[in-house]
Amino acid sequence: MTDLPPAIIQSPPAAVSAVLTETEVKVNSGFRGATISVYGAVFDPQGRPADVVVVIAGPEQPLRIARKSQVAGIWLNSRPVVFRGAPGFYRVASSRPLGEVARFADLRRLGLGLDHLAISAPMERRIETRYGVRDMVVNQLGADYFDWRSAVIRLKQKAGLYSADPAGVRYVDRGLFQAQVVLPADAPTGLYKTRIILFQDGRPVSVRDRTLTVEKVGVERALYLLAHRHPWLYGLASMALALAAGWAASRVFRRS
Amino acid sequence: MDLYLPIAEVSVNAPLLIALGALVGFISGLFGIGGGFLMTPILVFLGIPPAVAVGSLANHVAASSVSSVAAYSRRRAVDFRMGAVLAAGGAIGSVVGVEIFRILRLLGQADLVVSVSYLLFLGVIGGLMLTESLGAILRQRRGQPAPPPRDRRPLWLYGLPLKVRFPRSRLYISVIPPLALGIFVGILSAVMGVGGGFVLVPAMVYILRMPAQMVVGTSLFQIIITTAITGVLQAGRNQSVDIVLAALLLIGGVIGAQLGARASARFRAEELRAVLALIVLLVGLQMGLGLIVRPDDPFVLMQGAGG
Repeated sequence: MTDLPPAIIQSPPAAVSAVLTETEVKVNSGFRGATISVYGAVFDPQGRPADVVVVIAGPEQPLRIARKSQVAGIWLNSRPVVFRGAPGFYRVASSRPLGEVARFADLRRLGLGLDHLAISAPMERRIETRYGVRDMVVNQLGADYFDWRSAVIRLKQKAGLYSADPAGVRYVDRGLFQAQVVLPADAPTGLYKTRIILFQDGRPVSVRDRTLTVEKVGVERALYLLAHRHPWLYGLASMALALAAGWAASRVFRRS
Repeated sequence: MDLYLPIAEVSVNAPLLIALGALVGFISGLFGIGGGFLMTPILVFLGIPPAVAVGSLANHVAASSVSSVAAYSRRRAVDFRMGAVLAAGGAIGSVVGVEIFRILRLLGQADLVVSVSYLLFLGVIGGLMLTESLGAILRQRRGQPAPPPRDRRPLWLYGLPLKVRFPRSRLYISVIPPLALGIFVGILSAVMGVGGGFVLVPAMVYILRMPAQMVVGTSLFQIIITTAITGVLQAGRNQSVDIVLAALLLIGGVIGAQLGARASARFRAEELRAVLALIVLLVGLQMGLGLIVRPDDPFVLMQGAGG
């Protein structure tokens, strides 16, 4: 690295700092989604131009996707393909379009942007012998793999769970920025990893990690836990309740 | 007034769901069907995951059926013995059906089989019922006598062994046809996620030749038993019962069912069957349309990793 000018090494490195306005989102019976703001500051004594990227990813949710094709006039589903590594919620906001902020390799390595999400279909990989070469890794989806992958992203975007906003990080004052994350009501519960990355000259120079938890509270939590820890008890209780309600209604109506 | 559902994990409009439950409960009490074939598509349209819609619906259907069976049994219009035989078959059938459905889901063909069976069964049953009941109504209007009943004692119904007396229905037939019918309806209801009343009602009239006034109450009685079993199975095996969703639906459902069961006394059986046939036919055609119309997106997401 002979081309690195000594001035940059001597000056203190730029740094980014950020906070979330909310670190715990409580899902109760009135939950209709939430809006969380990220506020942060860029510290750079030299005031060099800086780009900020805010990425927030919810807990992983494996998913299945099938393709419809028309056979004899009827639309049929193909065999479903399982994708792993897909977060239940993903949003990336940046101060400029990601392609201008950083190089392809860095975006890929940091998983920034909908094109760089690390999702894959591991069950479609198969090791076989082809053209006499043993142990070749073959993807059964072949050249269509890209279509499948982009369909996952497209459908998640349509459901409002994935988004990318190239102008989502706004500078509100010198070195001070703000970004907003809107969680829809059907966003999954769990741990959301939030990462704020400062880019200068196309390189990531400073990173801050923040976590956000989305969890059910109160009655919603109690019912959810009961349904998953004691499913049979829960099932019997809810059916008993239903039968009792039906019987009670008929009693009430008989009197009237 | 929005309410967050803890298992479905979506937010829904509570008054809308109560009204919906009441409407479907009314139809259920009136026609002796569970109403699942109407409710499932509506709930899915409202954004509730299909598995949760089917699971929670069992509770709603059981509740409104109890409500209307109580009303029918006061009029002595329930053949409990026949209902028990049908329900025994239904229990066997639903266990088999749940397994079939699991395999279909793994193959990704559950949607197709559900749509095709909706189209096929609703279409055929709706069509047959409509022609038969319209014929009966027309004859009455013209003052013609009913056609002479065909052979009241078909050999396959009466020739089989294991004969049992069903005094309420004034039948003395083999137990095999109702049991087989129960099994068939059980499989169908597990696969299609419905109570199966729309198959049961016409089958009891045309195949078992039960008296028309016994059919609705008896059908609802067997629906209580099968949906109670499937509801508990769905909660225990798939954790797909949302008690808040079920509660919202059944508040309206039990009241609607009472009104429906009362209203049914004011209509002629043929006219009720003609209206039911129309509803069944429309839902079947609507489902069939989904098979033919080009989808918005060639890909479709399914929840969970399966298996």
